Amino acid sequence: MSERRPILPMGLMIPSLLLVLWIIGYPLYDLLIMSVHSVDRFAQVGGFVGSANFQKLFADPLFWASFWRTCIWSTFVTLGAIALSLPVAILLSQDFPGRSIARVIVLCPWAISASMFGVVWRWALNGNGGVVNAVLMELGLTKEPIYFLATSDLAFPIAIAVGILAVVPLTVIIFLAGLASIQDDLYDAARIDGASSFSTFTNITLPLLKPFLNIAIVINIIYSFNSFAIVWVLTQGGPANSTDILVTYLYKMAFQFGRIDQAAAMSIIMFGFLLALITLYARFAMKERVT
Amino acid sequence: MRDNRRYRRGMISWLLLLPLVVLGLFPYLVMLSTALKSAKDLFAYPPRILPSQLDFASMMVIWDKVDFARAIANGMVVSVSTTVLTLLFAVPAAYSLARFQTRGSGAIRVFLMVTQMISPVVLIIGIFRMMAAMGMMNDLRALILALTGFSVAFAVWMLQSYFKTLPREIEEAAAIDGANWFNGLRLVFLPLAMPAIGVTAVFTFITAWTEFVLSYTLLRTPEMATATLKVVYLVSGQYSVAWNEVMAAAIVTTLPILGIFIVFQKHIVGGLVQGAVK
Repeated sequence: MSERRPILPMGLMIPSLLLVLWIIGYPLYDLLIMSVHSVDRFAQVGGFVGSANFQKLFADPLFWASFWRTCIWSTFVTLGAIALSLPVAILLSQDFPGRSIARVIVLCPWAISASMFGVVWRWALNGNGGVVNAVLMELGLTKEPIYFLATSDLAFPIAIAVGILAVVPLTVIIFLAGLASIQDDLYDAARIDGASSFSTFTNITLPLLKPFLNIAIVINIIYSFNSFAIVWVLTQGGPANSTDILVTYLYKMAFQFGRIDQAAAMSIIMFGFLLALITLYARFAMKERVT
Repeated sequence: MRDNRRYRRGMISWLLLLPLVVLGLFPYLVMLSTALKSAKDLFAYPPRILPSQLDFASMMVIWDKVDFARAIANGMVVSVSTTVLTLLFAVPAAYSLARFQTRGSGAIRVFLMVTQMISPVVLIIGIFRMMAAMGMMNDLRALILALTGFSVAFAVWMLQSYFKTLPREIEEAAAIDGANWFNGLRLVFLPLAMPAIGVTAVFTFITAWTEFVLSYTLLRTPEMATATLKVVYLVSGQYSVAWNEVMAAAIVTTLPILGIFIVFQKHIVGGLVQGAVK
């Protein structure tokens, strides 16, 4: 077929490729240009400045603070999501009465968008009337309501906890797929050989799940690195920048402080980092070829 | 005896899952109980878990005072247009990728795989400037265009992995029966591809409906806001937030998606796995 119509395959492909190049490629090119020029607060591009924007960015303590905070944020969200999701996925892959209902309930936060999730938790954690305080006071765990998101020491750990809950459904789904791909006869053979359930887990389940574990880790790092909506809605990076991660600081720099050239430089760095992560993911995923 | 053991295992599993079951339902319970609270209950001290009496006022207020119907209409226009446009671009591309092996197809595969994972937030300044230069600021069309650009790679991936499972013979058989290539596609291939196209449509719709950073940046006034964006507007920039109205709006925004999720649960989970673990 391909010899008979050599033009056709490309012809069907080209509209999509052009669209992607236009919507993703052009803004990227524009950011590259902006990152080495001076740009005023109305986004008018001025003269060439070389690496000055990058140097100014690297001299900005808030940039480094949000950089380190992003590292902490991504590490803890990823670790937390996996620590919670792996046992849950294992439980959900067992056969027990009501399993399909349990699955739906555990996965149903997936239907709540990140921004809506942020809105709900922002209210639940509110110091005046939030339900978390209501429960804590009802149980006698605290006498006074706690201002979770308005206290700078508390806000970031709390945001991490919310971030973890937001990614649990997707992570559970990845592990469920992994567990479903392990053939039952492996377990049957192990049982006939008299293996204990613990050694079955460490010798069969874990090694076969490893590719999915890799994918879950990389996906969660990418996802948490990009999680603008949840942090923005929850705290806007506050109080006093104590919850700013790179994406929220980038947004403030561009759209609130009007330092568009430095923000462009920051975008380029972040894009490079994201691309490296995606490449890592692509290698894991291509190796696995689940579909 | 056997039944007994199964029952016990069920009890233990449910007990172990209980914390996550509670956390999974928690956002929905917060939305519902807050939406049914009166303004007086909202800031009662000590704070209340449940409303003192059911108050449906906020469910009314979001329609007349907040004009949430308009936000839903905007959201529908954006999500339906994005879905239709994405499929128009993606179906031919996916067909091409699934059926023809050309020299560039390996590179195209990698290109699509990478672009489908790029999130708009790192490119947002460039996107903003491009839309402004085209005179499409605060314009639903700009959002539709941007969302389509970011959805198309994922849609192509998902569709082509399914198209590959459809036997090539069906089109060849149609060709032998004298149908021309295009009619063969339309009458034979497309009906078989419909389930995959449907699931991809559901995914694209949900992505567009729930998207935040692009709509937040490209739509500048409350009148243009989509449903998801409007809920965030109701929370931010106000001196005192009417949380019962916010949660009423959040329910209206989220329930359709939850409905779609429960109805298409198996397909969505399967698709997510494909999307996440390609």
